[in-house]
Amino acid sequence: MSAIERYELPDTVEQAAEILRGGDVTVLAGGTDLMPQMQAGRVAFGKVLMNVRRCAGLAGIAVEAGRIRIGALTTITDLLEHDLIRRHLPVLSDAADKFASGQIRNMGTVGGNICNASPAGDTLVPLLVLDAEVELVSKPDGHLAIRQLPLRDFFSGPGRTARRPDELLTAVLVPMPPPGFRAGFAKLGIRPALDISIVSVAVGGVVADGTIAGARVAFGAVGPRPLRGTGTEAALEGQPLAQALIEAAACTARDEVTPIDDLRATAWYRREMIHSLTKKVLTDVAAA
Amino acid sequence: MTVTTIPKQSLIGQRITKRDAPEKTIGQTRYIQDMTLPGQLHAKILRSSRLHAKIISIDTAKAAALPGVHCVITAADVPEQRPIGVKKDQLPLKTDRVRSYRDEIAAVAADSPEIAAAALRLIEVVYEDLPPLTDPKLSKLPDAPRLHDAPDNVALTFAYKHGDVAEGEAESDFVIEDEFSLHFVTHCCMGVSGVIAEFEPSGNLTLYSNTQVPFLHKRDFAELLNIDPGRIRIIQPPIGGGFGSKLDIYPFEPICIYLARRTGRPVKLVFSREEEFIASPTRQPLTVTLRSGVKKDGALTFRTVRTLLDNGAYTSWGATTPFVMMQTFSSLYRVAHCDYYTEAVYTNNPYSGSFRGYGNLQATFAVEQHMDRLAELLGMDGLEFRLKNAQDRGEVTLQGLHFKSCGLKECLSVAAERSDYRQKRERHQAQQAAPGTIKRGVGMASMLHVGGGAKIYPSDGCGSILKLDDFAHVTLMTGASEIGQGSETVLAQLVCEELGIPLDAVTVINNDTDITPWDVGVHASRTTFVAGNSAIGAARKARDKILAAAAKVTNLHADQLDLRAGYIVRAEDGEALMPLAKMLRSLHFSDMAELVITSHYYEPPSKHQDKDYKGDVSAAYAWATHVVEIELDTATGIVRLDKVTAAHDVGRVINQLGIEGQIEGGIVMGQGYAITEHLMFEDGLCLNPNFRDYKLVTAPEIPEMDITFIETMDGEGPQGAKGVGEAPAICMAAAVANAIENATGVRLTSLPFTPERVYRALTEARR
Amino acid sequence: MSLLREIRFTLNGVERRLSVPITMTALAMLRDVLNMTGTKYGCGEGECGACTILVDGQTVNSCIMFAVDCDGREVKTIEGVAADEQWRPLREALVEHGGVQCGFCTPGMVVQASHVLSKNPHADHHAIKRGLEGNLCRCTGYKKIIDAVAAVAGEQEVVP
Repeated sequence: MSAIERYELPDTVEQAAEILRGGDVTVLAGGTDLMPQMQAGRVAFGKVLMNVRRCAGLAGIAVEAGRIRIGALTTITDLLEHDLIRRHLPVLSDAADKFASGQIRNMGTVGGNICNASPAGDTLVPLLVLDAEVELVSKPDGHLAIRQLPLRDFFSGPGRTARRPDELLTAVLVPMPPPGFRAGFAKLGIRPALDISIVSVAVGGVVADGTIAGARVAFGAVGPRPLRGTGTEAALEGQPLAQALIEAAACTARDEVTPIDDLRATAWYRREMIHSLTKKVLTDVAAA
Repeated sequence: MTVTTIPKQSLIGQRITKRDAPEKTIGQTRYIQDMTLPGQLHAKILRSSRLHAKIISIDTAKAAALPGVHCVITAADVPEQRPIGVKKDQLPLKTDRVRSYRDEIAAVAADSPEIAAAALRLIEVVYEDLPPLTDPKLSKLPDAPRLHDAPDNVALTFAYKHGDVAEGEAESDFVIEDEFSLHFVTHCCMGVSGVIAEFEPSGNLTLYSNTQVPFLHKRDFAELLNIDPGRIRIIQPPIGGGFGSKLDIYPFEPICIYLARRTGRPVKLVFSREEEFIASPTRQPLTVTLRSGVKKDGALTFRTVRTLLDNGAYTSWGATTPFVMMQTFSSLYRVAHCDYYTEAVYTNNPYSGSFRGYGNLQATFAVEQHMDRLAELLGMDGLEFRLKNAQDRGEVTLQGLHFKSCGLKECLSVAAERSDYRQKRERHQAQQAAPGTIKRGVGMASMLHVGGGAKIYPSDGCGSILKLDDFAHVTLMTGASEIGQGSETVLAQLVCEELGIPLDAVTVINNDTDITPWDVGVHASRTTFVAGNSAIGAARKARDKILAAAAKVTNLHADQLDLRAGYIVRAEDGEALMPLAKMLRSLHFSDMAELVITSHYYEPPSKHQDKDYKGDVSAAYAWATHVVEIELDTATGIVRLDKVTAAHDVGRVINQLGIEGQIEGGIVMGQGYAITEHLMFEDGLCLNPNFRDYKLVTAPEIPEMDITFIETMDGEGPQGAKGVGEAPAICMAAAVANAIENATGVRLTSLPFTPERVYRALTEARR
Repeated sequence: MSLLREIRFTLNGVERRLSVPITMTALAMLRDVLNMTGTKYGCGEGECGACTILVDGQTVNSCIMFAVDCDGREVKTIEGVAADEQWRPLREALVEHGGVQCGFCTPGMVVQASHVLSKNPHADHHAIKRGLEGNLCRCTGYKKIIDAVAAVAGEQEVVP
């Protein structure tokens, strides 16, 4: 039975922040993870359940000061179909396309996917290579406080993030990729749809004259949180994307991850697949 | 006066839409999950939290005290319990010992499912753990604890022999042996299991049940309640999928009945999906050690087969699947010597039930891989090798199966030709070592399965009653249940064919044991064949009655008359003589009041096998060949199914639309068995009791399907038809295995072919 | 008992007002409170699509939606889609093409297929398969369901 004592439906971010300040709040966005977790008894509810659906300012995708601002309530379907994302961040719409199923994409939100902090979260891996930041709002002393945090510093473990209990994740901010930026994403599952990644890989960088600069690599489902592959990035940085480099980088990727065995795959297979997928994505990026 | 002539028309082989489909598309079909009876209570079952343990004590006091709880029962509260199952080796509620995580310990009836669930959490059970047994090989060791009163923990054995395999081996130029290993999968009916039990004040029981064998279960339930079977009525609401999962009584059903008896209220028990995964039957897992030999000329010489079945904690139908497996080993191809022995060994794992194909997916997986391996050793084309050893029409196999119709050779040739099997196989094999990670492969497998009922029970029959009203509307009461497969539609078609009436003039009643005549049940691909013949028998009697009466009125002989489009016509030229409705009214209103009601009981002309399993089990056998084409990525191990070319000897197509649906659905179910589905256990605990990690095939994954029906017009079949329900699932895994070998040169003998398992096999083969 | 909350929403065009426990699913509200049993429970985790409904014109899995989240929104179930003449051809095509066997997945399929066609009236086979990827069917092998939707989308040739 639920221990929830109050249900809140704030209209503004400020009201939401106020409610959060009261403490012991569970935030409801799309609910696609929250409801199954609740039914399985895997989530401890706070005294307050706060549904942010009506919060003004949490929806929408727009260009803002050279960055693309994706509101926390943006659904995965919005991400998949929005023109700004398709044009400027195709790797993100590609990841959205590989996300669960149509119904879940219609419900699930970007903010929820980030706060749920699954190591296998499909939008998180491309957002990491896009150098995304999250916007967190709180009202610690009667005034709204906004902080921005690089996404790569946001995840601390499975289901755990750097969001303070009194903070609301309001948006994810993605810098407009520089000219020549290319990126790719690959996900391995048993099925093409309705599947949780066994591993996933995203790679991005500026490719000019066949050489990659500002290389960013991220991996999903190979650690307690989605990770940047700094070793692989270093191996790629400033190098021509030739076949030998791709092979070497894929090996570095395989060696720098420390996955675990679980029912979906063994650690050995995950490493091997990090190699295969890194190679595939790099080959695609090189050929793009 | 104008003369109307009506040409002879036939419904057989047409694309007939399913009679119950329209209401299903609008959400109006009321499944058992959707039913609510006045005063209904909701039941939940407490299952063991230990794999194998003594029950020291059960305290239900707190649960019973929870407001809204009407009744809590444990074994101690139901002294009338009787053992259930194929070997009667379990009580619905366990007394002093649990042998698996699904074991039922207590049950609650409450005002709502939520209260019932809350009450379960208040029941305190003290266990004392016993050593676990989750590997059948270890169960057989002398010092292993006994799970039941069974020497070496062996629940069942099957031994079959013809010829002398030693002689066969001596004659052989090539001999091979492999061990094949088959995994746990489960039915995954979209509608979870459920039952509603209601007692009348008289003590009569009405059970709303999704059973596939209502008449057999009537007797079983009567025994469990110690009442006369005549006081039990089973009503079968529409069912959300069967596939064999509802052929045995499982503990939830008697438990629900006991709760209803104690509370005097209707009690409904419906599983959650998690419970469905944990507590409904699985497909039988097993290992097969197969040794096969062949002569240089391509003639099979012998097969020696040893199978070890993980029986699980108790015995349900899964343990009896060797009965079907042995037919594939002995008779799918001609083999002079065969020695088959199997043991089903108790463990603390889940137990298996019957599941579409009934052991034949497993047997075919082994046999058809050996057919490819032997062909390769001979340097012979796999198709040619199979054709050389294939059975023919009229043959009686050494096991005694009599193939009165047999389209295996046509199936082989047609599937090979339509898929361009030989050329593709050569081409793909040549590409195995080529650069690139994407490989293609083509593989073939055939199957033999019962297609004319299966003589398992004392009778394999089915009764029909036909009632014609004065408006020429017909009601067919049949013992055969509709479980989504379309039997209601096919039976209506067969009746219309005899009586020359439109489909919408037939009502089929098939879901109430108080009304419908006796039937064995929906299993063994038998309904079209057995219930179809039964319905035709009743319809022919009705036809004879009508034509005899019409002969008197028309001054023609009955054999000069025909029934077409609701009219009595002259057979010769189709001239309409009088409306059928008018004829029937005159019969009903005559002083003899000859209401047209007929009945017929059909029992297929098959016999029981002798104690050595020799003899015929079915009145007819179905055959099929599948050729599958795959794409395999060696970088990931992902196997994708491109195309399936299937040729099925179905006797005759009755409903083209329905039979296509059966074949397509079976192909995709077989695809899941081969590639995506795997119910995983660790120390007897199910790791993936959900659709997230138990992966059914989804729409984007289905292959292109090219299906050809070979019509061999079986002499015993209704309009020549044979059963087909199970056939399409059977060949898939074997054919996929052969295709993987063709693509990569690596043979996988263990299912499923999930990416990691394929990748690992390829990696090991490279070493 | 769970905290109750009064919500108001439009259900198949009719204004509804009721109190629901805040942890109740939309599916339980439809089936157990409102007795609308066309929407099916298949898995309770959003993995099978049997419970698909439309909320503000988007399909969702009602089994993982909070009932309170229906507040102020427009909800359409299979009963609503069934009453809509626009989707008669879809329902008839499913019957004609043999896309229904046991029928338990069918209401969810109909709702999802109507959404796929709303968004893309000329969806091709690929788009239809993708559109139905969240709806499991154990009987048909999907082919006849896909063919039925394709027929409505005006695509005449039947290519898997």
